[in-house]
Amino acid sequence: MTFKAFIFGLLATFGLPWLVAIVIPYSAMRSLEPVKFEEGSGVEGVYIPKRDGRVTEGSKIYGQQGCATCHTQLIRPTYAGNDVHRDEWAGLRKSADNPDTRRETLAMDFEGEDIAHIGMSRVGPDLSNLGRRLDQHLAGTGLSPEDWLLRHLYNPRGIKNYRKGTTAIPKRSSCPSKAGLFNETSSAGAKGNALPVEIRDGRAIVPGDKARILVSYLASLKKDTLGQPLPAALNYNPQAPAEEK
Amino acid sequence: MAETTSTADSNGVALRSSIDRSLRHPVMFFFTSGAAWLAVAIVLGLVASAKKHAPEFMNWCSWLDAGIVDAAHMSALVYGWGAQAAFGMIIWLMARLSRKECTNVGTILWAGHIWNLAVLGGLICIMSGNGSGVPWMEFPGGIWIILLLCYFAITIWSLVQFQVRDAGHVYVSQWYLLGALLWFPWVCITALLFVFVFDGNAVMATGIAAWFKGTTFLLFFLPTALASAYYLAPKVTGRPVYSYNLALFGFWALAFLGPWSGMQKLVGAPIPQFLPYAGAAAMVLILIPAMSVGVNILKTVAGYGEVVAESPSLRFTASGVVLFVVYGFLSLTLHLVPSMKMTQFSYSGYGLDILGFYGVFSLCAFGAIYFIVPRITRREWLSHRFIKWHFFLSLYGVASIVICAVIGGMTQGQGIEDISQPFGTMAERASQYGWGVTLAWGFLLVANLFFCLHLLLMWARLGRRSSHPTLLKAHHAESPHGPEGEVDNIGSVSA
Repeated sequence: MTFKAFIFGLLATFGLPWLVAIVIPYSAMRSLEPVKFEEGSGVEGVYIPKRDGRVTEGSKIYGQQGCATCHTQLIRPTYAGNDVHRDEWAGLRKSADNPDTRRETLAMDFEGEDIAHIGMSRVGPDLSNLGRRLDQHLAGTGLSPEDWLLRHLYNPRGIKNYRKGTTAIPKRSSCPSKAGLFNETSSAGAKGNALPVEIRDGRAIVPGDKARILVSYLASLKKDTLGQPLPAALNYNPQAPAEEK
Repeated sequence: MAETTSTADSNGVALRSSIDRSLRHPVMFFFTSGAAWLAVAIVLGLVASAKKHAPEFMNWCSWLDAGIVDAAHMSALVYGWGAQAAFGMIIWLMARLSRKECTNVGTILWAGHIWNLAVLGGLICIMSGNGSGVPWMEFPGGIWIILLLCYFAITIWSLVQFQVRDAGHVYVSQWYLLGALLWFPWVCITALLFVFVFDGNAVMATGIAAWFKGTTFLLFFLPTALASAYYLAPKVTGRPVYSYNLALFGFWALAFLGPWSGMQKLVGAPIPQFLPYAGAAAMVLILIPAMSVGVNILKTVAGYGEVVAESPSLRFTASGVVLFVVYGFLSLTLHLVPSMKMTQFSYSGYGLDILGFYGVFSLCAFGAIYFIVPRITRREWLSHRFIKWHFFLSLYGVASIVICAVIGGMTQGQGIEDISQPFGTMAERASQYGWGVTLAWGFLLVANLFFCLHLLLMWARLGRRSSHPTLLKAHHAESPHGPEGEVDNIGSVSA
């Protein structure tokens, strides 16, 4: 084997996958065709997943804080896993209030994020639909998803420190605390932002900027747009044709 | 080295000795600082693993938060220990095999110091919550550029040495070294551009980060380890490599498969569907290069069981090669389509990573270090007991981590897939195995204390002054290494 043949071999064995698996798919993925609603569905135009919140900054903090080590954000198609069937992971099942909105993850779901946090392992549950799940669970409690998330981040098992009457945080969780994102301040300086936590008299715990941004991002994780139908092409369980009803 | 002797053999001895002298500072620097980072990485790994089953552990320190400490652990392991051990191996092996002294020691040492500072800076950024937030590439963008520049300043001389070598045989080890030297910058620059610079689709960026992680192992760390194995096995036994054609086949099989690996992590993600499956296929087929290297090296040392058992370098290297074959089988099992469902988001991937990085790469690197350090310091290792403890604890630790992580990961994955069970059941199942992994990191920590202490004593030039290598038996008999294996004392004082 001459040196020239060696270099040529390296170029060929590495260059081909480099083009085929990196460069070409990367360019192709820069301009994706959105999914259109089919004719006769009563909805015009294309489907765009809606989210509001501080997505770009929040996504970065989510990565920096290592959330993706234990949480995924990927609802795999059924050939690759059972994620669609886990309760409320992929969207809400059909109920009196809403149609079945379960669907797989789309590239569009990560719009506005620099990197898609599909995650490394599932030590904790998938977060694709976290915002919508919280909406459901907290309905009627008077607690907003943001407030619940702040309490959860500060102390996921923190019942003992929380003031009496503030429940809604599950007692058992293996999620570590992110208390580092919160600051201690005087009660007067907290201005209504204080968490309902008992610490020394005259002191209060308030969320820092990063905690606020992260919570805004987490609450924006919704894989369905409630009240809006999905195009049949995306819906895991499309509505049956009218005559069969 | 002005000394001229009449016979060709003593010419060779003088040349080898002068190469070793020229490289002693940078190589010792890389090995000792790498070993120190290894200790740091193991402590971080212990904390990271403990947090998986005991979330309140060390909760008072936000720099060691779960997730953050995982990223710091892998970054310290790969760039603090792995890369520096690889640099030491590459520059020494390439100089010896090309028969050229190193003339750029100053630059290499400077770049080595900057590399260490950059890794430290990167870890501080990660642990203070200011990393890049990109999985598998957690250092901030600026740190990556510094690391890449240092990489060139350290390794470019090895390419030059290869180019200006006296024409002659190109050794198997040299193909692997050349491959590693050329693949790494290509992979690294591609990943940096596509992830940090270009503005593209977020899912594809994740895919490229995953590809970066897969290819840096298969195309940089693994080839470096195999270069060392292909050097040490014939050298210590005094036999030629069993089959040249098999070596050629194994090399090109790795070169062909390696670049496809990595994206198997994204099965089911919204990227072109062939990408994750191409990655999984490459990881299934990795058994082919693993078998060819395994058969070739083990056939080379076959019949020399006593030498393998007694020589520290060969014992570590042969274990690394055997574990490479195990890696091939495990990778095949974990990446078949039915098991992908269960392994994609479970601990078992971590088990495979540690088997590759600690079981294959690091054991081969330890083997190389036990061979190289006596030659460049002109001292022999102090204690065969330290080496034995290091060997058994390492092997025991790696085996425990891999077995716990893989079996735990399979039960965890099975729990995730079983929708008749609540999600919490799976988490409880997995945490039992988490305890095992934490304990196993404890074993590796003790193993590395023996190794670090031993290496520091050698660095302080407190090794034995002897021409008999330290062998893993109770008394020092005559050397099985033959004349090549002994430390050449010629020229140490007189020349």
